[in-house]
Amino acid sequence: MTILSWMNPAEAVVSSSSKSVSTGMGDAADPITTEIIRQGLNAAAEHMKRTVIRTAFSPIIYEALDFAVALYDADMSMLAQAPTLPSFMGTLGFCVEAAVTAVGGPQVLGPGDVVLYNDPFGTGTHPQDAAMIVPIFALDTLVGYAVIKAHWLDIGGKDPYCTDTVDVFQEGTIFPGVKLYEGDELVDSIYRMVLANSRIPDAVIGDINAMVAGARSGGAALSRIVERYGLDVFRQCVARIYDHGEAMVRHWFEQLPDGEYSASSVIDGDGVIGTPIPFEVVVRVHGSSVTVDYTGAPDQTVGPINSPLPSTVAVSRLAVAYLVGNEAPNEGHFRALEVLTRPGSIFHPVRPAPSFMYGVPSDHAIELIINALAAALPDLVPASSGGDICALVWWGSREANGEPWADGAPHPVGLGASPQGDGASTMMFHSESATRFTPAEIWEARNPWVIEQCALAQDSGGVGQYRGGLGLNLSFRVVEDCYITVAIARTKLRPWGLEGGGEGRPNALEIEYPDGRVESHSLSTRVALPKGTLVHLRSGSGGGHGSAAQREISSVRNDLTEEYISLEHVRVHYPHAM
Amino acid sequence: MTVVIGVDIGGTFTDLVMRDQVDGQVTVGKVPTTPHDPEVGVLNAVDAVLTPAQISRCSHFLHGTTVGLNALIERRGATVGLITTAGFRDVLEIGRGDRPDPYDLRPRPKDPLVPRRRRVEVDERIGSRGEVISPLELSAIASIVERFDAESVDAIAVVLINSYTNPDHEMQIETELRRCGYQGDISLSYRVSGEYREYERTTTTVIDAFVRHRMGPYLRRLRDGLAQRGFVGELLITRSGGGALTVEEALQRPFETILSGPVAGAAATARLAQAMSLPLAIPADVGGTSFDTAAIVDGRLPLNFEGDVEGLPLQCPWVDVRSIGAGGGSLAYVDEGGLLRVGPRSAGAVPGPACYQRGGTQATVTDAALALGMLASGELSGGVGLNLAAAHQVLDILVDTSGLTDRVAVAQGIMRIAASHMAEAVRGITVEKGVDLRTAALVAFGGAGPLFASLLALEMDVDTVIIPSNAGNFSAVGLMQSDVSRSAARTLLRPLVPETLVEVVAVATDLGLSFGAATHADSYELLLDLRYRGQEHSLTVAFPWSLGADASSLSVIESQFEAEYHAAYGLNLPESVELVNVRVQRHTRLSVSRDAVRAPSWTGAAGLTDRSVWSFTRAEWTMTPVIERTSVPVTGMPGPVLIVEQTATTVVDSGFSVRPGEQESLVVTRNRGARA
Repeated sequence: MTILSWMNPAEAVVSSSSKSVSTGMGDAADPITTEIIRQGLNAAAEHMKRTVIRTAFSPIIYEALDFAVALYDADMSMLAQAPTLPSFMGTLGFCVEAAVTAVGGPQVLGPGDVVLYNDPFGTGTHPQDAAMIVPIFALDTLVGYAVIKAHWLDIGGKDPYCTDTVDVFQEGTIFPGVKLYEGDELVDSIYRMVLANSRIPDAVIGDINAMVAGARSGGAALSRIVERYGLDVFRQCVARIYDHGEAMVRHWFEQLPDGEYSASSVIDGDGVIGTPIPFEVVVRVHGSSVTVDYTGAPDQTVGPINSPLPSTVAVSRLAVAYLVGNEAPNEGHFRALEVLTRPGSIFHPVRPAPSFMYGVPSDHAIELIINALAAALPDLVPASSGGDICALVWWGSREANGEPWADGAPHPVGLGASPQGDGASTMMFHSESATRFTPAEIWEARNPWVIEQCALAQDSGGVGQYRGGLGLNLSFRVVEDCYITVAIARTKLRPWGLEGGGEGRPNALEIEYPDGRVESHSLSTRVALPKGTLVHLRSGSGGGHGSAAQREISSVRNDLTEEYISLEHVRVHYPHAM
Repeated sequence: MTVVIGVDIGGTFTDLVMRDQVDGQVTVGKVPTTPHDPEVGVLNAVDAVLTPAQISRCSHFLHGTTVGLNALIERRGATVGLITTAGFRDVLEIGRGDRPDPYDLRPRPKDPLVPRRRRVEVDERIGSRGEVISPLELSAIASIVERFDAESVDAIAVVLINSYTNPDHEMQIETELRRCGYQGDISLSYRVSGEYREYERTTTTVIDAFVRHRMGPYLRRLRDGLAQRGFVGELLITRSGGGALTVEEALQRPFETILSGPVAGAAATARLAQAMSLPLAIPADVGGTSFDTAAIVDGRLPLNFEGDVEGLPLQCPWVDVRSIGAGGGSLAYVDEGGLLRVGPRSAGAVPGPACYQRGGTQATVTDAALALGMLASGELSGGVGLNLAAAHQVLDILVDTSGLTDRVAVAQGIMRIAASHMAEAVRGITVEKGVDLRTAALVAFGGAGPLFASLLALEMDVDTVIIPSNAGNFSAVGLMQSDVSRSAARTLLRPLVPETLVEVVAVATDLGLSFGAATHADSYELLLDLRYRGQEHSLTVAFPWSLGADASSLSVIESQFEAEYHAAYGLNLPESVELVNVRVQRHTRLSVSRDAVRAPSWTGAAGLTDRSVWSFTRAEWTMTPVIERTSVPVTGMPGPVLIVEQTATTVVDSGFSVRPGEQESLVVTRNRGARA
C-alpha cells in the first residue's frame, strides 16, 4: 500500500480473485480426472491439518485449532484448504505472495526451502500468527506452495497478548519473508533469532517443527499428484477445478435476491481511546456477484482494533459462505465475491497501524454482514450471538521451579435464535466455529488454576418466540501469582434480537481480588493477578427471534423445568405461560 | 461341541458363517437385517442355515452387535441421572463448543443424553494431583435419591472432577447411594474410563449407563432364543477394541461394544496378515453403504483410545478402522458446477440401486458396475435380481448433465471416482502411520470389495491384492477366530523416570486384577501412552512384561517411543518424554481352529460363458472369461478374467494376473507398468 492511497481516502481498493481465470480447458480436463484430482488436493490439505494437530505443542493449535493450512499452485491460486479456523479462509494467498516476493521471487526458491513470514499486513492478523511457506517441486518444476499459518504463543511484542498497542512494532518481532530452511538445512541464524524473541521458546520450537512437518507432508502429496498425471493434465484439471468452484458459488449467489443491503453497529472502543466507534457494512447483490463494501468505515484507530485487508477479505467470504452454502473451497470459490475497502480505515489499515485485536472489527463484521442480509433471507438469518471469541491469555512463572508458562483460549458464547428454533448455547463464535473449548482437567493439570464453575447462565438468552442460546459462566481461581490479558469485545452492545425478539446479555469479565476489590475489564493488557484471585468470565448470549408472547407455552415450561430460565423470568417475560 | 458360529450384522444383510471343526465343512448364509429387533435377524439366520444338531454341537457363538450403537442413534436407553462436582452440572451440555459442521450458522445440537433437571451437583472438590480441596458432603445424597426416584431414574452416572487421580469421593457416593436404598445401575467414571478430560469421561460414563438398559434385554433375548434352539455353548460379543467379551462382561461394560461394527473385518485381515507374513496389509471392505479400511502393520490391529459415536466422544479402545461413504449403493450425481460426484449418500437397502428395481431412480456404483459387465451373473447374493436396462436408464440421465460422451464414460467415471475416494481414505491412514502404501497388500472383501480389486490397485499404486476365502462373508469368518479380551486404563501424568516405572507396575497390576482370576490361556499386554513433555497427543508404546521397572527398561521404552514417533512424524524432539496413560489388555485364546476357512462349494456357477467386460487398463470392451473361484489354476492365469463365488465377484483386469495363494486366498498381481 502506498502512502498516496492512504492520503486519498476517496480511492477505494477492490479485492477479488481475478487470478487464474480460465483460458480454456484442454481435453485432458475431463470431469472424472478433474474430480479425482480435486479429491486428492482436498485430501492433501486435510492431511497437513492432521499432521499439525498431532505434533503441535500449544493447546491453542491442537485444541483451539488456531491455524490454517492450504495448498497453492505456482500462480499462487488456492488449490485446496482444510477446514480449520474459518476466519483464516483464503488469507493465506496474501502471505504466499508477500513472502515469495519478499524473499526474492520464485526463482530463488529450491526444494527443501521453508520461508517464514509474519508481517500482519500480509497475514491479515498479528505477528503471533506466523506462516511457513514451502515451495513444492515435481518433474523439476515449481508446481505450487504448501502454507501453514498458526498462532505462536509468543514472538516478542510488548506483552504476550496486547490490547493497547499503538503501532505494529510493539506487537511482536516481524519476519518479513526469510528462509528458515534452505535446501532442508535449518538456517541457524534465523532460528536463533526466533527463539531469542520469544518468552516461551520451547513451545515455539515444538510448533515450528509441527508446521514444517505439516507443510512438507502437503508438499509430498501435491508432488505425487503432479507426477502421476503430468504437468499438462494437472494444469488443465486445476483450471477446471477453479471454474467448478466459481460455478458452485455463482449458483448459490443467484438464489439471493438482487439489491443493496446494509447494517450498522458500534464497537466498544479501540483499547487505547475509550470512545465508541460506529461503523456500517453494505452488501450489494447483482445476479451471481456479491460485493461487500466497507468504504464507509471509520479511519484506522490509534489502538489495535484494525483489521488488515487479508482478514477483511477472509471474513467477508466467510460470512457469505455461512449463508449461501459452502464446500472445501479453492480459488474459484472466491471469484464471484468482491470486497471494497478504503485504505487508512479500520478495515484496510496501513503501516504502521497496530492490528493485534484485528478480530474485534472483523468478527463484528461477520455478524453485521449476516444481519444486513436478513432483509434478503429472513428465514435463514439468526439474531445476534454473543458476538466475540472472548479470548483470555495468561502467563507467569511457576512457583516450584520458576519455569515460564503461558496459555490462552477463546471461550464459547450463546448463538442467536432463528425461525428454525432456539439459538444454541455455549458455542464458539462463527469465526472460530471449529475451535474446541479446553476441558478443566487439562487446564488444571497444566496451569496453576482451579476452575470453580463452568455452567450455563440461567435467564441469559434473549427472549422471543425462539429463545437465544445461553452464555457461559466460567470462574478461574489462580493458585499462583500470574498475569492476564483480557481481550473481550462487545461488552456494551447487547446482542440484538430480530422480528421483535429480545436482546441477549453482553460479554463481561470481572476480577475479584483476595482483598475484596472487584473490577470489570474488556480490553486490558497485563493485569497482575495475585494468588487467590477469582476471574469470572460471563460470556454473551444470543438474541431472541420473534415476539416473546408468541413462544409456545410448552417451550416456556420445558425451559423452566430444565432450569434454563427461572420462575421470575417467566413472570416478567412470558406471562402467558404462567 | 465342535461347531463354531459367527454372526455379523451389517446395514443391509446379517451374515452367518458356521464351521464344523471336525470335517472343516463351512456353511454360510445371509438374511436381511432387522434393524429394530436385530436378534430376530440373527435368529432368522440361525433358523435358515443351521440344523438343530449343528446348533447343539456349537461350542462358541460369536456375535457383533449394533444394539448399543442403535440405542444412541435412536436415543432410546435408560433414564439416567448424573451426579457431578459443584459448579460442573453442565459439562455434558457445554461440551467442547465446536459444531459438527463448522459452516453451520444455526447449529441445533441434539438434546443431551441426560437433561439438565437430572444433573445434580454435590459439594466436593479434588485437585489435579489427587488432593482433596473440599470434602465430600455425603448428606446430600439421600435427597438426590429421592429426586431421582421422582424422575424414574433407572441408572445413575457419577462423574467428579479429577476423579481420575483420586476415586475416593466417587466410591463413597456409590456406597451412600446403596445405603439410601437405590437399587438401579451405577456407573462410576473412574471404573468406566479412568482417563482425564471431564467432558469425554462424562459422555463415556453416561453412555455406559444409557445403553446398558438396551443391551441387557437384547443379550438376554438372544441368549434365550439360542437356548430354545438347543444352544448350550458360550455366547461371545465382539468389542470395539478387538476380541470378544463374554456375555456377562458385555452386560457389565456395554459401552465397549458400541464401535465394534467394522472391527471384525480388520481383525480377520490382521490374522490373515500374520498367517501370510504380510508386513503391511490394508483391508478394503466394501459393502453396500461404506468402505472400511485400516493400516495393519506386522499383523497388529491398530488401536485408538478415543472414539466418537453419534458426535459423542467415547474413552474406550477401538480398532482404528476408518469408514467413508463409498460402497455399492453410493449415489452418483452431477453437481451445480458440472462435475460428476459419487457418494457419500447411499441408496441403502431400500430403494437400493436402480438395477434392483425396488424404486431406485438414481445411478449407483452397482449400476455402473453392471453396465460395465463387471457383475457376472444376473443376481447378487441375497437373491436380488439385477436389471441391466434399469441401470442404463439412470446412467443415461447423467450423460446429459455431465457432458460426457456416453453411458460407458459415465459408468467408468463412477467406478474411478468411487475408487479414488477409497484410495484417498487409505492414503490418509498410511501417511499418518508413516508406512509406504506402495509396499502394501490390499485385502479386498465384503460384497463389493473384490469387484474393485484391480481398480483399487491402480488407484493406490499397489501391486498385490489378496481376495480371502469367503470374501463376501470375511467379517463373519473373522469373528469365529476372536480372542476373549478385556482392557482397562488409568491416567497417570508423570515424567518418564525410574520411579514412575515402579508406579506403572503397581497401577498395571491393579488394572489386571480388575479383570478377575487369570487362567493359563491368558496373555497380558501392558501399553503406555507417551508424549513429549508439553504436547497433548500421545503415542501408545508396548511395555513388555519381561522388562523390570529399572533404568534399562526405561531406555528400551524411550527408544521405542522415539522410533515410533519418527516413523509417524519424520522427526524427533529434544524434549523429555512424559507418561499419560497406563493401559492393560488381557487376551484369552479360544480353543478354536485358526486354519483358513475354505469356501463352501457352490453350484450357482454352472454354465458360465465368456462375456464382454469394460477394461480400465485397455480402455475398451474386452471379451473376458468367467470362471468359478475353485477353477483358478494353481499355476495362475493372466487377466482379464471374472472370478465368481457365492458371495462376491472378483474382477481381474488386463495387465493383472491371478493365482491361488496361502490360506485359501486368491492373489491378484499387477504386471509391471499396468495403469488406467
